[in-house]
Amino acid sequence: MAHKWGMVIDLDRCTGCEACVAACHAENNIATVNADQAAKGRTMHWIHVERYWEGEFPNIRARFQPVLCQQCDAAPCEPVCPTYASYHNPEGLNAQVYNRCIGTRYCANACPYSVRYFNWFNPAWDKPLHLQLNPDVSVREVGVMEKCTFCNQRILAAEIKAKAENRELQDDEVKPACVQSCPPTAMVFGDLNDPNSQVSRMSGSVRATTLLEEVGTLPKVTYLGRESSHGNE
Amino acid sequence: MNAIYGLFPDADSARRALKALRAASSRLHLNPKAIVIMSSEPLEEEGFGWEQERTLMPWLAPLGALVGGAAGYALSAFTQRSYPLPTGGMPIVAMWPTGIIMYELTMLGAILTTIVAFVIATGLPNYKKRLYDPEVTNGKILVGISELDSDCRAELEQLLYRDGAEQVKEFSNG
Amino acid sequence: MNNAAQANVIDFTPEKIRKDLLLPVFHTSRRYYALVIALVAIGLPGMFVYLYQMSEGMGVAGITRPVFWGFYITNFVFWIGISHAGTLISAILRLVNATWRRPVTRCAEAITVFALAIGAQYPIIHLGRAWLFFWLIPYPSERGIWPNFRSPLVWDFFAITTYLTGSMAFLLLPIIPDWAMVRDRATGVRKRIYTVLALGWRGTPREWHRLEVAMRIMAVTILPVAISVHTIVSWDFAMAPVPMWHSTVFGPYFVAGAIFSGIAALIIVMALVRKALHLEEYLKPLHFDNLGKLLLVMSLLWIYFIIAERLTVWYGNEPAEMAAFWSIQRGRFAVLFWTMVCCNFLIPFPILAIKKLRTIAGTVIASSTVVVGMWLERFLIVVPPLEHKYLPYDWGHYSPTWVEITITVGTCMGMILLYVLFAKFVPIISIWELKGPQHAKPIAVTANATLSPAAIRLDNTLPSTNS
Repeated sequence: MAHKWGMVIDLDRCTGCEACVAACHAENNIATVNADQAAKGRTMHWIHVERYWEGEFPNIRARFQPVLCQQCDAAPCEPVCPTYASYHNPEGLNAQVYNRCIGTRYCANACPYSVRYFNWFNPAWDKPLHLQLNPDVSVREVGVMEKCTFCNQRILAAEIKAKAENRELQDDEVKPACVQSCPPTAMVFGDLNDPNSQVSRMSGSVRATTLLEEVGTLPKVTYLGRESSHGNE
Repeated sequence: MNAIYGLFPDADSARRALKALRAASSRLHLNPKAIVIMSSEPLEEEGFGWEQERTLMPWLAPLGALVGGAAGYALSAFTQRSYPLPTGGMPIVAMWPTGIIMYELTMLGAILTTIVAFVIATGLPNYKKRLYDPEVTNGKILVGISELDSDCRAELEQLLYRDGAEQVKEFSNG
Repeated sequence: MNNAAQANVIDFTPEKIRKDLLLPVFHTSRRYYALVIALVAIGLPGMFVYLYQMSEGMGVAGITRPVFWGFYITNFVFWIGISHAGTLISAILRLVNATWRRPVTRCAEAITVFALAIGAQYPIIHLGRAWLFFWLIPYPSERGIWPNFRSPLVWDFFAITTYLTGSMAFLLLPIIPDWAMVRDRATGVRKRIYTVLALGWRGTPREWHRLEVAMRIMAVTILPVAISVHTIVSWDFAMAPVPMWHSTVFGPYFVAGAIFSGIAALIIVMALVRKALHLEEYLKPLHFDNLGKLLLVMSLLWIYFIIAERLTVWYGNEPAEMAAFWSIQRGRFAVLFWTMVCCNFLIPFPILAIKKLRTIAGTVIASSTVVVGMWLERFLIVVPPLEHKYLPYDWGHYSPTWVEITITVGTCMGMILLYVLFAKFVPIISIWELKGPQHAKPIAVTANATLSPAAIRLDNTLPSTNS
């Protein structure tokens, strides 16, 4: 059966360290922007940790949640792209074809999670930083939308390797950069079509919720809610 | 082609002249279809034969609309089925978007058919030297006959003057 | 016949009509050249700024995450809306045989064509990779690129193409007889140009009849197209799950708003043309009065839609929608919102409802505020909901940059320039339509009338038969 990639993020384990953000930038050749652009809201963190403050001093708590492309099964960004740059691939991923994108930015407006990013300028890396670009991932030019791809390059590499070795993919063989880099291993990635995979089992947890479930996008990222924090005031 | 025509200052005199010409055409063995009228505004009043004008255009436009609708369907359905792209479970040919494209191309079909039918039915553009007088756009109505036998020339000229022509001229593009 | 009725009649000899209406085509004043130069001077920087935007990247504009659409889409919807002027006047009034529309039709149809041409630039201007805009056109490509017919932007492409084709035909077909008139009076190069343009028109009954039939078919066809165009433009927003965009009322709301702004633009253009080309005797107070009444109806319809939409959102009290709602009504956009309500309803309503105030000056004032108000309305539809989508962490702000403002001004000047050039090469009032066709029976003159038999009654009353 074809794979159906999904992810589970355990918010109880997440410390908000943002190692996933840094790893994603490194793996996917994501440009960094200067302070002015960041103030305008033009950062390009495919995965970012959203932080909300709750309560009044002295009982303030920070709630944070890594948000990345939810790879929705009923993605609102897919029907609206006029050039089919945003489409649903057979493995359940919402794929972005950079070459087809003409930059209408309709998909970004349609995404309820605001996880799509636009290249406002041509990204540039001062020498010698250009040497650290990942050769497996294309560098996007100005005017093109981009977003989290569940590190599709790693998925493909693993699939090719498994096929070459004439075997099935193992459950923990594919790890996107964020999953790989998470220190408390709060993030789990795997095949939702495999009932024995860790992702499938954890998605069935009583703590499992999805983000913006009421919008009906059928996201494939499941969040395990924090345990009630009796010791954590 | 030899033609003779009169320039009339208003619709009444032009109508009289037309009536007289039609009456005279059988007597003088002239082709009634060779009677020409030209004006700077449409002459929808009685006596100018507006009601006898017939055209296929109102039938062609719905036909063009149907062709347009079919083209819309072909464009959406056939092309998308020939090169199916992965749609993640959504139908390859979605009914409502196909419907919208069909609707727009239906209307475009009707519009383009009307334009083409207009061009063909009027015979425009036609830059050949033809029977015409610039006085027509000065408000005069031109009534004349275009296949002229030189014998009847004098009689026709008299007829036109009698019915109120301000000028009578001849035209030849032979 | 009292003076008031006399004021609603065009009672001139045909020669005078021709002379008055052909004068702008044949005589170019120095003021005209100055106007054209001024328009080009103010508008041309817009084009260079656009090239700058294309080379630097969309980042020079103010749009950002999450407000990915800003001024350009506002302008797009605004201009497409304005383009509904001609359709209403020409098509609907033609179909109901309202004779007062005759001096006004070409003015209106020209607005339609040029507003569409300008509006259709914006989907290209706002593209990230604008040089690839042609990928929206279905053409066979070896790269396997094909438009996605599910996308409202592709529907936009088809709808606007259809509407532009239809409006151009609607505008150009009735110009042919007037070009014949210019051809017969012109000399030299002008004569050669207009000979080509007039297509050899002679004015035979066959030509007139086919023209009339074509116009009637076009009038019936262009109406559904116009309604579908702005509905499809509204679906650019309504089809996305953005709070306060995803509303079923958008289709009719936008069409009503389009007709509203279209009539306002028409009134302003008519007043300017009237002044500039000395057409006071052709564009009468009656025209402004009738259009003013239409504008009043549309203003009431607009306020109805605003109340209907906002009341249901407020009553539904959905948190995501309410964030956008309050930001419009009380928050960041409050000034713009209340200005819009004033401009679209509070100011025009008394001016247009009170007959004494519904003069030419009154309707022009009302129309000017409506045009401003409708632009604000488009802006308030596009930007505040995008600033407040579902996840509050991702809320943002939008502020336009000089790039967007310059391009907006540039296209505005472009529209005016196209219109000014049009008025030079084509008689802005349709001469043949003005004078005829007369009624099937010759016009009978009323017993105590002082009008000549060739007078044209603009108030659409049937004359009583001669006693």
